[in-house]
Amino acid sequence: MTQRRLVTTFVATSAVLALAACSSATSSTTSSSTAPGTGSKAVGFIFVGPKTDFGYNQAAYEGSQEVAKKFPNLKVLTQENVPEDDNAARAMEGMISRGAKIIFATSYGHLQAAEKVAKAHPDVVVVQQGNVIDGAVPANLGTYFGTVYEPVFLAGVAAGKATKSNKLGYIYAFPIPQTINNINAFELGAQSVNPEAKTYAVNTGSWCDPQKQKTAVDSLLSQQIDVVTQHQDCTSTIIQATEAAGADTVGYHADAQSLAPKGWLTGSQWAWAPLYDDIVQTALDGKFTGSKYNANYRVGFQNGENPFVQSAFGPTVSAETKSLIAEDLTKLKVQGSSVFTGPIKDQDGAVKIKDGDSLAYGSAGIEGMDWFVDGVVGKIAK
Amino acid sequence: MTATAEAPPTDPPTTPEPETGGSRLAGLGEVVLRWAGAIAGAIIIFAAILISKGTDPISVFTDTWSATLLNSYSVQQILIKAAPFALAALAVVVPSRAGLVNVGGEGQVIVGAIAAAGLDLAFGASLPGGLMLLVMLLGGVLAGAAWAGIAAVMRLTVSVNEAVSTLLLNYVALDLLLALIYQPWKDPLGSGQPASRPVEDAAKLPVFSGTSVHLGLLLVVAAAVAVWAVFRYTAWGYQLQAVGGNPEAARRAGLPVTRLLLTAMLVGGALAGLGGAIHLTGVEYQLRPGFASQVGYLGFLASWLARHKPGAVLLAATVLAALAVAGDSLQLDSGLPAATANILTGLILIAVLGWTGTRKKASSR
Amino acid sequence: MSLVVDVLSGAVRGGTSVMYGALGETVSEKAGVVNLGTEGCMLVGALAGFATASATGNPWLGVLIAAVGGGALAGIHAILVISRGANQFASGLTLLFFALGLTSLYGADYVGKEIHALNPIAIPGLSDIPFLGPILFHQDALTYLSYLTAPALWWIMASTRPGLLLRTAGERAEVLTVHGYRIATTRYAAVITGGALAGIGGAHLSIAYAQSWFENMIVGRGFIAVALVIFASWQPLRVMVGAYLFGAALALSPALQARGIGINQFALDVLPFLVTLLVLAFLGKRTLLSAPAELRRVFDNTAT
Repeated sequence: MTQRRLVTTFVATSAVLALAACSSATSSTTSSSTAPGTGSKAVGFIFVGPKTDFGYNQAAYEGSQEVAKKFPNLKVLTQENVPEDDNAARAMEGMISRGAKIIFATSYGHLQAAEKVAKAHPDVVVVQQGNVIDGAVPANLGTYFGTVYEPVFLAGVAAGKATKSNKLGYIYAFPIPQTINNINAFELGAQSVNPEAKTYAVNTGSWCDPQKQKTAVDSLLSQQIDVVTQHQDCTSTIIQATEAAGADTVGYHADAQSLAPKGWLTGSQWAWAPLYDDIVQTALDGKFTGSKYNANYRVGFQNGENPFVQSAFGPTVSAETKSLIAEDLTKLKVQGSSVFTGPIKDQDGAVKIKDGDSLAYGSAGIEGMDWFVDGVVGKIAK
Repeated sequence: MTATAEAPPTDPPTTPEPETGGSRLAGLGEVVLRWAGAIAGAIIIFAAILISKGTDPISVFTDTWSATLLNSYSVQQILIKAAPFALAALAVVVPSRAGLVNVGGEGQVIVGAIAAAGLDLAFGASLPGGLMLLVMLLGGVLAGAAWAGIAAVMRLTVSVNEAVSTLLLNYVALDLLLALIYQPWKDPLGSGQPASRPVEDAAKLPVFSGTSVHLGLLLVVAAAVAVWAVFRYTAWGYQLQAVGGNPEAARRAGLPVTRLLLTAMLVGGALAGLGGAIHLTGVEYQLRPGFASQVGYLGFLASWLARHKPGAVLLAATVLAALAVAGDSLQLDSGLPAATANILTGLILIAVLGWTGTRKKASSR
Repeated sequence: MSLVVDVLSGAVRGGTSVMYGALGETVSEKAGVVNLGTEGCMLVGALAGFATASATGNPWLGVLIAAVGGGALAGIHAILVISRGANQFASGLTLLFFALGLTSLYGADYVGKEIHALNPIAIPGLSDIPFLGPILFHQDALTYLSYLTAPALWWIMASTRPGLLLRTAGERAEVLTVHGYRIATTRYAAVITGGALAGIGGAHLSIAYAQSWFENMIVGRGFIAVALVIFASWQPLRVMVGAYLFGAALALSPALQARGIGINQFALDVLPFLVTLLVLAFLGKRTLLSAPAELRRVFDNTAT
């Protein structure tokens, strides 16, 4: 075929397709006036990484499989490695064309695509995991998340009690607010039982780069840091390296006690199924609009079942530590309490949360946190 | 066996139908057979891999075919995805005609988008929409050209090979993107996530009414036609190909070889930069960490699939985009992992690269 | 531990994997074949090695199978470019996509698995040497092996018959034909050996260093290996230096942060690439002249 003919064919095809799309688009937007999510034949889940990452995405995937068990009449559609860009919108559209009227976009950066898809399909419920919708929330959209920093605070207590060098290590990917919440909560938890405890924060600039993770562990261990935790997507490299070096581990995303039988203290792990199930049920019942999920829903110890739960304790955690943590848990369940209760200073000594003030679930202070508390060593990565 | 581009096009005159000549018809038949055989081979191996994972290949193929190509939404998505691939591929085509290897599409696309986004951040509200869009696209063109220009200048002044320098510059561009969106350009309303603020509504590329396909697609086709016409009808295009064919002879014939090489690379970068700007203003609207990830590399492969012919590049880019979109169906309808799409793409590329050219021609180079 | 020791020991540990990849690329390029698919060979090696170690409990068998896997992928490259006349850059990139897909498809079962890994072994006596001990002699067996691999390659290339054949295939291929050798055979051997070395590099990451497998775990370091070869002007011993420089750049950021010193991560991440570009610019024509002649034909058909 000659150049010219190819070009012509290409243009002609585009034009025809554009016309075809025109007609179908108009028919699909005239949806019925029924509540979004009702009559769904399928539920869709998109994940930013592989389903098997021994971490964040795997936990969400496992949650989706629980939904499949709970709702045998619904087909559960999953798509992994969905980038945080317009490809995510395409993935969701594909699920909608396969009968899904309930969609979970499970990564922070999927929000823009979720907003776009929700706008195009008023009859589809789109919920996004972990980000925050700015301004008015459309009737078929919402975000949800656990208050991740609460169990991390409790794990910090265990770390503060366990450390002998008073140096804790925190390996993180990028300085997003969620991560900063965690690092600060970890340090505050440790400080609450061990005022000398410092948290050394090291970033890798990647959600899953095993080589950098290992290098970070080595650097921390060489500085006598004896408890290592993390906020990464894939978690096992750090845990195994820490265990091999004889230091203690605080897990994240998944229960990895089997990888660190000696040094495992505790950790935080996802148990998404109850929340996923409830969101699906609410949407199927036609009750999504106006529900708590039709907002920036943050569930923590105070208002229900936090999907981010504390992992089981390891063998070396003392009874005293366990009871301290149980006390803290009781306190955190009291309405109005907060991990971030003043006075809290930042690294430069400036008071960021005044005595008597505290940061509530979903508040701007938490969702936009961009400073480290006093006691965290290391500057926020730039 | 060199990185040389195809020799100056020896296309027959562009008559629509092959009129005469049994031998030409036979030649065409042979080409068709070769392509069919290669692609069939790739698909058979892919089917074997599917069977090894306990999946029925027939239903995978039928489901994927209908979900990907018989669905208007997904076809629109293929076209949208093909646009930056095609421009990144044209960015390989132009330098390759002069014998240069541009592996830097990835970085040139990114800097094109960075320039467009930066212009929007700086002047977004102060210019009328249409003009703003034009300025942004132009900015992308210039930035892409400048980025490729670094490699060209290094090549022409200190003899650093452009295949290597453009590859390295990809990483520099990506790092620049990350540095910008994690700090100075981070959207203040974006709840702390690393992304620039969306471009002004007026600076977004309009879409074909009722679709999600943006008008940038016309620019892509125009670019391909322009590249084709330049090589066919202009002195610059002719001289460029003379340099690509035999640089020594070209020099002796008094052609300005240095200037030709420089401009070839600049034009290549400009095309990729335009691709980045179009992808930003037509699809993504904001810079994010994975912006246009792998577009440059896939564009490079599209250019080779198309044997560096501008018209065929459009087709090759569309095929690669279709394979990427087919990955959706592989996951949703067949429950296969995301990676299967990469395997299929890899197999088809292996087959086409290795088994569609005439072997004699290949080994004589 | 002092910052310098910390960074340098991290440089050796972290640079080893990319060194194997770059040594493999050196062998391939010496024979006149560029393999941009080194990243893919490393990925295949990482998975093949990890899976074998996981299934058999024997990490050394894992290293062997990693070499076989990396070599096999490079073999496809060899077929495409040597026998089928495909473009080297396009073929290499293609193999990367192919390897990404294959390793992700077959690797999912190995995520989070534990293996008998190659742990660091302190060499008695040597590891007690101040400064050098912790940097060089408290490493894993594949790292020790790499101390020998680079000099051995240098010696093989400079002083042995296979080395001579290799260099001839890269410099004046037609001479091989005159002496009754087949150019293609020599090149096949070089490309496959290169892939096998890259496979071992991947295995170093999965079996010895990170001791785990994850999808796409090489994250671009195969491309750095390719750049290192040119940075090192095709000399194995310089490849070694380059790899350690890269390892040092990786190790510096966490080492500083673990001491509470803030650093701009993006400035640091871009350093290896800028340094390589600057070195290339500085060496200029000298790099080009030290390139194997056949390779110059691949790279520089319009040499100015």
